[in-house]
Amino acid sequence: MNDMRLTEKSVEANDTKISARGVQVYYGDTHAIKDVDVDIADQTVTAFIGPSGCGKSTFLRCLNRMNDTIDVCRVEGNIKLDGDDIYDKRVDPVQLRAKVGMVFQKPNPFPKSIYDNVAYGPRIHGLTRSKAELDEVVEKSLRRAALWNEVKDRLQAPGTGLSGGQQQRLCIARAVATSPEVLLMDEPCSALDPIATAQVEELIDELRSRFAVIIVTHSMQQAARVSQRTAFFHLGNLVEFGETGQIFTNPSDPRTESYITGRIG
Amino acid sequence: MTFGVLLLIIVAIAAAGYVLGRQRARNASGGDTRRLHSLTGYHGQSVMLFSAVPALLLLGLWLLLQPMLIENRVAGMIQPGDIPEGGSAELVMSDVRRVADGLDLVVAQGALNESDLAAMRADLTNVRSRLAEVGVAVGSEISPNVFQAAKEYRRLDTRFGTAMTIAVIAVALAGFALSLRRITPEYRARNVSEGFVLTLFIASSLVAILTTFGIVASLLVESVHFFQLYPAKDFFLSLTWNPQFRGGSDLGIWPLLWGTLYVSFVALLFAVPVGLMSAIYLSEYASKRLRSLAKPAIEILAGIPTIVYGLFALVTVGPFLRDYFAQPMGLGSSSSSVMTAGLVMGIMLIPFVSSLSDDIINAVPQSLRDGSYGLGATQSETVRQVILPAALPGIVGAILLAASRAIGETMIVVMGAGAAAKLDINPFEAMTTITVKIVSQLTGDTEFASPETLVAFALGMCLFVFTLGLNIVALYVVRKYREQYE
Amino acid sequence: MTDATANQNPAHGALTTTDARTRRRNAAEARFRLYGQIAIAIGIAALILLLTSVLSNGLSSFRQTFLFLEVTLDEKTLDKSGVRDVEVMKKVTTIGYGKLIEKSLQSAIEEHGITVEGLTDKDVSDMISKEAAALVRNKVLANPDLVGQTVPVKVLANGRIDGYLKGRVTMESAERDSNVSPNQLLLADAMRAEGLLVKSFNWGFITGADASELRPEAAGLGIAIIGSAYMMIVVLFLALPIGVAASIYLEEFAPKNRFTDLIEVNIANLAAVPSIVFGILGLAIFINVAGLPQSAPIVGGLVLTLMTLPTIIISTRAALKAVPPSIRDAALGVGASKMQSIMHHVLPLAMPGILTGTIIGLAQALGETAPLLLIGMVAFVRDFPAAPPEGFFDPAAALPVQVYNWTQRADPAFVERASGAIIVLLIFLLAMNAIAIFLRRKFERRW
Repeated sequence: MNDMRLTEKSVEANDTKISARGVQVYYGDTHAIKDVDVDIADQTVTAFIGPSGCGKSTFLRCLNRMNDTIDVCRVEGNIKLDGDDIYDKRVDPVQLRAKVGMVFQKPNPFPKSIYDNVAYGPRIHGLTRSKAELDEVVEKSLRRAALWNEVKDRLQAPGTGLSGGQQQRLCIARAVATSPEVLLMDEPCSALDPIATAQVEELIDELRSRFAVIIVTHSMQQAARVSQRTAFFHLGNLVEFGETGQIFTNPSDPRTESYITGRIG
Repeated sequence: MTFGVLLLIIVAIAAAGYVLGRQRARNASGGDTRRLHSLTGYHGQSVMLFSAVPALLLLGLWLLLQPMLIENRVAGMIQPGDIPEGGSAELVMSDVRRVADGLDLVVAQGALNESDLAAMRADLTNVRSRLAEVGVAVGSEISPNVFQAAKEYRRLDTRFGTAMTIAVIAVALAGFALSLRRITPEYRARNVSEGFVLTLFIASSLVAILTTFGIVASLLVESVHFFQLYPAKDFFLSLTWNPQFRGGSDLGIWPLLWGTLYVSFVALLFAVPVGLMSAIYLSEYASKRLRSLAKPAIEILAGIPTIVYGLFALVTVGPFLRDYFAQPMGLGSSSSSVMTAGLVMGIMLIPFVSSLSDDIINAVPQSLRDGSYGLGATQSETVRQVILPAALPGIVGAILLAASRAIGETMIVVMGAGAAAKLDINPFEAMTTITVKIVSQLTGDTEFASPETLVAFALGMCLFVFTLGLNIVALYVVRKYREQYE
Repeated sequence: MTDATANQNPAHGALTTTDARTRRRNAAEARFRLYGQIAIAIGIAALILLLTSVLSNGLSSFRQTFLFLEVTLDEKTLDKSGVRDVEVMKKVTTIGYGKLIEKSLQSAIEEHGITVEGLTDKDVSDMISKEAAALVRNKVLANPDLVGQTVPVKVLANGRIDGYLKGRVTMESAERDSNVSPNQLLLADAMRAEGLLVKSFNWGFITGADASELRPEAAGLGIAIIGSAYMMIVVLFLALPIGVAASIYLEEFAPKNRFTDLIEVNIANLAAVPSIVFGILGLAIFINVAGLPQSAPIVGGLVLTLMTLPTIIISTRAALKAVPPSIRDAALGVGASKMQSIMHHVLPLAMPGILTGTIIGLAQALGETAPLLLIGMVAFVRDFPAAPPEGFFDPAAALPVQVYNWTQRADPAFVERASGAIIVLLIFLLAMNAIAIFLRRKFERRW
């Protein structure tokens, strides 16, 4: 790992957006996440890396309570978003997810038009008061997702008709449209070709200016390219967490080093 | 010789063929069965198949054709004068058959012997009273020609019967002997008997085509008869249904079609929301425990025969609706009504709609649900705005299939909807459907060749075309839908 | 493009307080959930209602009201010659026996000291079923030595009296009914108190033949059960081999071409053709063209076979498809022919699935009514069909058609009988489905 860009990247000390303390996750009898502490900074891209089944996606899904939809899943510990415990009884996961958006591994546009895909979030959350306002949100979101120029003439065409990379950018636009504060991305490029991946990565870097972005990735190069901070998970444990440059050039834990150099994983 | 004995003889020949075929193969091998091309069992099997199958086919074919042949021969003996006013040749032929059966009975009971019978003449003896003695009732006096025809019928029947017995046994024995002679050590008995079995398999799969052909042919032929007797224009355009015993009937399909569609509409109006909502609840919300209890419970409804629903409509739902809804609201006093039949049919369709929708909803990929939840949608928003639109083509297909079920359903409407053909809007009024009229016209007392009976075939034709069309569209829609997510 | 909008977002209030919109959305969620629960409740309630309706109407048909009488079988009436020749004794009709039963009833009433005003002798004798005389006559003809003795007999009571004991007939309804008078009901009460009139299990309902319009108390299901059983035998022996043979061909041998496509489309469509159309087919082809007898189980069996075939073919093909290709390859690999690999390995492994599908198909066929109406199975049949195979050609009834038949009769006592017949039908269906489930559980195999 001697990508020179790493060292040039500026890492400002931002406010903490999400802080997790002592998080345990159980799937039935399986202990999937063991005692994870992590602080996610605002306006920063944080990458979760680690071998398959290490719990990084599971942990990501805890952050917007997507695990609630799985019956056997149980979460313990304390996760705070801007100081509010998101597992508090009074918190409605629906409100939480409007603040913490998510983009998934496989592009999953709804079988609706491009416009309706993007407008879905603002509509269900009632974010706009008029059609004109909604139009504006849709355009803004599609521009942010760098998709506007490609689709502006066919907003009523079905979203499923786009190419893979376009579909994933549409899903990002859809997530951005609700104006979230945190954006969770679960291997957003794993189903895309290299050109589409480059476009999405570029986009992630731009999104950083507005949101805290957390990305789960299998590709260490990708983590190195897009993130400022990296967390390495192994067998449900958070092994190491720090500046991306430091993790890749000078890991403190031997397991991290083994993974980065390709000996485990 | 009776049918059963003949069947037993064929089975016996086939069994003997199996045993002898094996034995002959063993002998041909000179004691070392390894010299044979095929196992001894296959030699036995080929003899068995060649003895039994052609003979059984002949037997079946003969039984099918014999009545037609005899009737053709006998029909020539009936003079136009024998046909009573307003009757038809077919009616006289059925008299001939009945007299012939009666004579069989008379002889069987020993009241007459064959030679007496041969000498008996209808103009000298009172045949009708003789038949009545053995419990065979004949509608009218028996004319000499009919009596002679009946005697000829009996004679031919016996002769054909004997001929059949001989022919069938001969074919069985011929197959037996020929295939037994072919056994040599080199004989490829396995290939031959496997080829034979494969041919039987192919023939079996043709039964489906034959059935469809039989349905279309029987509907078409009698419908054409009907339209020769009754103008097609009136059938398709007349707004009244009023069959008369003595001709001059109005046989317009519209009141029946209206009743059919009205009842089906009420049924779907009940079944679609209930079925769809329970499918949604069971697949999206319900706990495993509830699902494992409620799903089979609802599916039991699908296993209950329609006659049970019919009785439920007749005994429970009909009187209930009449006493608590129709009469207090002044909408009529009939316990059989569109509402009764529709509601009960709706219950019958619930499991149909719900299990089809369940499959379809489960075919919607989980990633779409995740996408929606990830944006902060509630479960019901996800169902209504993402899952249902995605599943819509499939659900439309399911509803079309349910509609085709409803249109073709018979017993519930026979027992619940009533028999009066009406174009009415009041759902508490008794109305009737195509299927009800098919049953009543074909089980009534009118003679077969009259338009009042034959209309049932034209109705059947419409029903068949209707349901077939719905099914083809529905299956096409569902298949397209499934391809979308595969 | 300003960032300001993001922070004014109404959805972005404090997490711990639920805003108004979210409350509304959650209320909509709760309503939607409720609709689902209501839908399921309706489905289950319909099932319970259906079953209780059948059970409450039908259970009573298994118990029947009987009269216990000592009948003196008078030689003078029954066998004047005194030689006990059955042929001669047959000359005495049921009327002669009826008189003897009436006499014994009257003497029994006197003996027990029951007096009810305003009843003629005819009123009293009308309380006995019209069927009773035939019962006693058959008993005597079967055993001529009984003549001259006084024997205890159990005879059916009239349907109205039976209805009174079951609560169907009341004093009020008897006032308006020309077939029964309140005084007869008073007498019935008195006789019941003396043990002359007793309700007990009625085997005749299950084994007996159907009875005419006026004798609901004697109507039984015997012929219908036999008719249904004969039809099931025909269906089993035709549909199973043909269905399995067709499935093996289509699944294992058939090339993919227009012709096999045609067969597939045909099977899919036949599965959805309304059952009554099969009845029309049976009437037109099997009865009118082939000249098979009306009301015969063979015709019913053939029609039901054609109806059941698609079900059996579809489930058999699924069962064959579930056997992994590795099994076929293994057999072919040791030099078995394709037919051998299928007959020796694939078919036995698929057998539980095939049998399950067949039983479910049979259960469907057993409950089917509409097509049987068209082939004349509604006819009133009083004589039991002969043993198979000749019996397949004798007129018979069928269970579901018998239900329909009874619902078309005027006397409300037949509704009880129809519901009772449905209970019998449902018991058969339950047993068949239980066997199917058992087979599936026991032999189901996951590859």
